[in-house]
This record gives sequence, structure tokens and C-alpha cells, in this order.
Amino acid sequence: MPDAQLMDRAFQRIMRSLVDTGRAPHYAELARALARPAEDGPALLHDVMQAYPIGWLHPETDYIASFPPLNSLPTQYRITVRGEQRWFAQCGFEATSVTWLFPGETVRIDAPCLDCGDPVTVEMRDGRITWADPPGVVGHLAFGFGASRGRSYYL
Amino acid sequence: MNLFRAEEHARRWSRFEPRSEEGFITLADLAGFFGTESRRHMLDADYLSTWYPRRAAERRAYLERIGKTSPFWMGTPDPPTS
Repeated sequence: MPDAQLMDRAFQRIMRSLVDTGRAPHYAELARALARPAEDGPALLHDVMQAYPIGWLHPETDYIASFPPLNSLPTQYRITVRGEQRWFAQCGFEATSVTWLFPGETVRIDAPCLDCGDPVTVEMRDGRITWADPPGVVGHLAFGFGASRGRSYYL
Repeated sequence: MNLFRAEEHARRWSRFEPRSEEGFITLADLAGFFGTESRRHMLDADYLSTWYPRRAAERRAYLERIGKTSPFWMGTPDPPTS
């Protein structure tokens, strides 16, 4: 069973890398940051992803694609902070959680509406919605939660 | 799990499924759903061991509070149809 403290440190290293740079670290960077031998990197990565199963690796790789609320793989949910569009959210729902990664900052979510392509914009600060354009922006859960729904829950 | 300009836009989406008519949530409720207590600790050193395990129960409690208690939202199996 993986060491809980090590898993906490690995999780924080990945999340901090995403917050600071917009991308997740490679397992070799992760191992080095935790003062572990490079050969421990893959197992460390797989252990932390197993402990945080709402994220995932890109299929057949050891690359972190998603580590919610942020995504290393670009999505249509673009996140801007301090005028820099450097981040992507895992999905439209997780996008509303990104605000908690940037305390005291205005976090802007820009996405195209999947029906018409027109913009959807939401701004949040410390969990509070400060702007929505258009004002009637809604969330939509397409397939329902739970494995029994049979489709990827993030779609 | 998408954002749309309005409900009618979601209904016109090429991948809209009739079952997901119950899948709408206001932006305010969504921000609350994804802003429960554990979410506010994602940068804490003990997030994974201390806060993440609380997430599922928080989500269920929040969904109950806003009246979204169907299997579609709660992630529970659909009742058998006769």
C-alpha cells in the first residue's frame, strides 16, 4: 500500500505544477521533485492516479491528461488568470472549481457553446460568480453520474 | 458536463439525449456543487489523504439540498423497470 504522506506530496507536486505552469509534470520530474529515484517515477505516478481516480492518464501512455479541476490536455474550457490564458479545465463543471486554486484572483472561464459556437464566459473570485455572459449560462450533465450510465461522465 | 448559453442551446446540441433533460443545473448551483468544503483545500498538503475522501459525501449532501436526488445525479443504478 502506498505511503499516504508520499501520496499527499505527489498529489501536491502535480497540482502545484498545473497551477504554476498550466501543465502536469512528467513522472521523471515528479520523482525528482520528491527526491525519489527516477525508476520509481512510473509506479509513483500510477499510485497517485489510482488514489485520485477522477483524473486520468492519456491512454497507453504515462502522461497525465487530466488532473481535475485542471487538464493538461487542452479542452474547450479555457481558463484565464491575471490576463494569462494558460490553463484548461477538465470539463464545464470542474471549471467552476478552478477558482479555489487561485485564491484572491479573478478566474475567467471561456468556452464555445457546443450548440452554436458562440462564447460562454464566466468569471469567479473566491468561489463567487462575478460575471456570466450570457446571464442565462447553464450547466448540463449529459449522461448522468455513475459507471452504470455507460458513458464517460466528463462528456 | 458542459456549459451552454441557455437550456435551449443544450437541447439543440447534436449529442443531446432525451434522458439528460433532467441534467440541467443553474450556474449558481453548479458553483456550490463544485465549491463544497473539500474543494477549498485542494492546495493543502494533506488534501489527498484528508479532504478528498470527504468529497463524495459532500457531493451527495449538496445534491440532496438542491433536490437532485435521482439516480441520474446521485450516480446510483436505475430502478428495475417492470
